[in-house]
Amino acid sequence: MALHPDFPLQTERLRLRPFTRGDVDGVFAYRGREDVARYLFDPPLSRDECALAIQQRATQTGFFEEGDRIVLAVETAHDGKLVGEVSLIWRSVEARQGELGWIFHPDHHGRGYATEATNALLDLGFGPADMHRIFARCDARNEPSWRLMERLGMRREAHFREHGLFKGLWDEEFYYAILRDEWLSLRHV
Amino acid sequence: MSSLRLPIETDHLVLRPFERGDLDAVRRYHTLSSVQRYVERPTRYEEDVAAALAVMRSQVELHRPGETLTLAMVRRGDALLVGHVSLKWSDATAGQGELRFAIDPAQSGKGYLTQALTAMIDLAFDHFRIHRLMVRCDGRSHHSIKLMQKLGMRLEAHYREHALFQGEWDEELHFAMLDREWRPTAKVQDLPMRVRVA
Ligand SMILES: CC(C)(COP(=O)(O)OP(=O)(O)OC[C@H]1O[C@@H](n2cnc3c(N)ncnc32)[C@H](O)[C@@H]1OP(=O)(O)O)[C@@H](O)C(=O)NCCC(=O)NCCS
Repeated sequence: MALHPDFPLQTERLRLRPFTRGDVDGVFAYRGREDVARYLFDPPLSRDECALAIQQRATQTGFFEEGDRIVLAVETAHDGKLVGEVSLIWRSVEARQGELGWIFHPDHHGRGYATEATNALLDLGFGPADMHRIFARCDARNEPSWRLMERLGMRREAHFREHGLFKGLWDEEFYYAILRDEWLSLRHV
Repeated sequence: MSSLRLPIETDHLVLRPFERGDLDAVRRYHTLSSVQRYVERPTRYEEDVAAALAVMRSQVELHRPGETLTLAMVRRGDALLVGHVSLKWSDATAGQGELRFAIDPAQSGKGYLTQALTAMIDLAFDHFRIHRLMVRCDGRSHHSIKLMQKLGMRLEAHYREHALFQGEWDEELHFAMLDREWRPTAKVQDLPMRVRVA
């Protein structure tokens, strides 16, 4: 279903909104870091690369066709500080599948911001976007990431070993997923 | 690498490339719905089988990633064609391969697939130097799941309702095995850098 949600999405402590040109420094502050990029597909980004990425993201705010993504900046509601980003990709139109992603600034880890923001995206995916299943994946060594998936109520569906190369080494990867019915029972709807 | 020597012989089977004359035998199992899931082009109707056979007849070597080797499982003695096994070389840099198989249900439960797949796993790891082999199974296909466990494959993935197959929610299992997990006592191979396929 084509979808152009109204932004921002509000949660208890956070605002999720499209990126703007003013976010370049805020994004560079975390996407430029080695520790943040460790398990990401991209290496640490330069400031110019962040500016380019933001240009692209300014249009990634709705679903029109398969493969489209919604990428949102996450800021604190009380002082508008950019703390990270979350994304939802429309992977299959026919089978109503979505994929979640997240990246947060290490200064803002450990406060439940990632959980709070991603739960809002799950609600968007299963609510207005009418998805049937939402999955996420991460490097098996990225424990903060798969623990987040477990907090969200996702199940581990796959544990791949050496199925590819990642940054020159054998890759080990987890897939987690949640079905619409599971989300409904979590939200007691 | 020495070139591939065919046919491959097992206790009860000969594994050989498909031939023009196999059409009637292939028809017996290739249109079954359980087989559709694992074939490159659907053959729901008998008219489609000849084209499927033509494809399988052309799959006789692995020279490049993306290619598939398909062999007919032929019973020794009476030369009855009971099914087929195939090995796809899916990725060169990471040495990935995928096995598929199909058998005439009238001939299942006799250990033929165990023999044929064992021979294909040997071929993948020893001859083609594959690093990791995977097999997809329908989540409801208990025969295949038991067979994978018997071969010593690890369950790597259990997807639920991740796709639609013939209009219904699908359930799919992935089994996998690394080269060092297959008859580990028989060989010592260094990781991660290794000789690649071909
Ligand atoms: C993955 C990532 C987003 C997880 O961040 P996180 O801070 O662990 O996750 P949350 O924001 O949900 O915070 C949860 C932690 O805050 C604590 N917390 C504090 N207050 C909380 C609250 N109100 N609600 C929930 N949790 C709270 C939790 O106990 C938990 O701490 P613990 O891990 O010590 O148990 C982060 O590590 C990251 O950005 N990594 C780099 C990028 C990356 O790898 N992305 C994923 C690629 S697949």
